Amino acid sequence: MKPVIEVSDLKVFYEDTQALNGISLDVYPNEILGIIGPAQSGKTTLLKVINRTLEFTQGTSLEGTVKLDGVDINSISDVHGLRKRIGMVLPLPVGLPLSIYDNVAFAPRTSGLRNKSELDEIVERCLQQAALWDEVKDRLDSLGTKLSGGQQQRLTIARALSHKPEILCLDEFSIAVDPITTMRIEDVLKTLKEEMTILLVTNLVQQAKRLANRTAFMLNGDLIEIDETDVIFSDNPTSQSTYDYVNGNFG
Amino acid sequence: MNAKIMNRSELIYHIIAIVTLAIIIFLFWNFSTDKPHVEGEITSDLAVDDTSSLIDRYLYRMIPILCGAGLFSIVIALYLEEWLTQTTWQYRIIERYIVILAKVPSLVYGIFAVYFIVFHSQKVLNYPLLLIAILLVMPVTIRSTQKAIQSVDISVREAAYALGATKLRMIADNVLPNAFPLIVAGICTAISRILAIVALIVIISNWINSSNIFTIPKSAVVLISSAVIASIFSSILDYKQVT
Ligand SMILES: Nc1ncnc2c1ncn2[C@@H]1O[C@H](COP(=O)(O)OP(=O)(O)OP(=O)(O)O)[C@@H](O)[C@H]1O
Ligand SMILES: [Mg+2]
Repeated sequence: MKPVIEVSDLKVFYEDTQALNGISLDVYPNEILGIIGPAQSGKTTLLKVINRTLEFTQGTSLEGTVKLDGVDINSISDVHGLRKRIGMVLPLPVGLPLSIYDNVAFAPRTSGLRNKSELDEIVERCLQQAALWDEVKDRLDSLGTKLSGGQQQRLTIARALSHKPEILCLDEFSIAVDPITTMRIEDVLKTLKEEMTILLVTNLVQQAKRLANRTAFMLNGDLIEIDETDVIFSDNPTSQSTYDYVNGNFG
Repeated sequence: MNAKIMNRSELIYHIIAIVTLAIIIFLFWNFSTDKPHVEGEITSDLAVDDTSSLIDRYLYRMIPILCGAGLFSIVIALYLEEWLTQTTWQYRIIERYIVILAKVPSLVYGIFAVYFIVFHSQKVLNYPLLLIAILLVMPVTIRSTQKAIQSVDISVREAAYALGATKLRMIADNVLPNAFPLIVAGICTAISRILAIVALIVIISNWINSSNIFTIPKSAVVLISSAVIASIFSSILDYKQVT
């Protein structure tokens, strides 16, 4: 199968600290790739490279290539178009200072969609996918930033889905969400997998085990191991540190 | 404002900015006092009872200038924050000047204003008016717009960009709505300053033109109270923005 994302020998530097030390991995269509690893291992950095939001951090440089459908993402001149193909959900919910409706309609509107009924449809579909519709359907006009933390996080997920991305990156989405809602979102992700590829960065090892088809383990900027989730969580993964991390006796 | 410890390079920028500013003011002062000042030229067109003509002449002419300067300063602040980003040296130098100008107490502008308007009123009106309006309005509004822009969280920007927004779109949808109360607050502060100064002019011209220096003209009272109202309004907006 042809990979959607090919990362080869990716190195990222922040000023003079190196965050990624030459990472290579492929992501295949319609899979959920779990990315696990302790803090500071470079998980967020990897996602930021993929949708090119790393550019907003000053003093960064990178080596190596990231290809999306065979095209080097750094050679793509339409960055905004690229970012629309790659949805991103950040660890803490970031509400745009807009109403719930406008938050979700933001991306479709930036691509020029003005038709009210189409927008309504998108908003409803995305909020439903993010398991938020029932809670907010009566107050779509109130400010998104006034929702609770967990609701806001689901709003960011709805927002990320609104432009039908080919790839959905989730960066520790469950930090601000309660376990029951987390379960609901996880169910959503399982169905979304039919339509898109999902990169799931998570601190909850069990979440990767539940959801991911394949799992990558990162440590201090290195990719220690990437394999079928069953293998990573089995009693004999290739690397001893993977085993230790997965079984919670790390450090 | 968040308390930041001033590092050495910042201190140097401050000193350079203050010295240059002092030189400019000194030159300006020299240039203006060099002109021979004829006693008989002290005018009486600011007579106390002639309030309406005063307001016609000074305030109304100032308001369009004020608005223009306010709008222009929003553009400058956006340029500074969004295009000239904080790490460039041009940004740092310009920022020093703006901070210093914004901190100058209105009394200082008042002296300028009184000097030019009361004593040179017949000839040089537009020019000092323009100067005062610019010195008075722009630093305050640029500063407040800048702060408002900075208060937009970096992750909000990233989120907007991640949704495919262009820079202009991001500014229009995320930065400006956030910045709006602070911008209005800045303009209100500037207006209150300018009203206070005009009040000062009215009072001083009253001193010059009448023997009884203890009467405060009605128009001055009106102006001062509007200044107070404007500044209260602006601090309310400021407060709302903070909380
Ligand atoms: N803006 C930045 N400036 C400088 N260094 C940074 C910056 N962001 C990240 N780093 C460094 O890059 C390395 C990887 O950070 P990254 O945020 O990618 O880790 P992470 O795996 O996402 O960690 P976490 O689980 O805590 O989110 C760390 O050593 C970190 O200190
Ligand atoms: Mg992270």
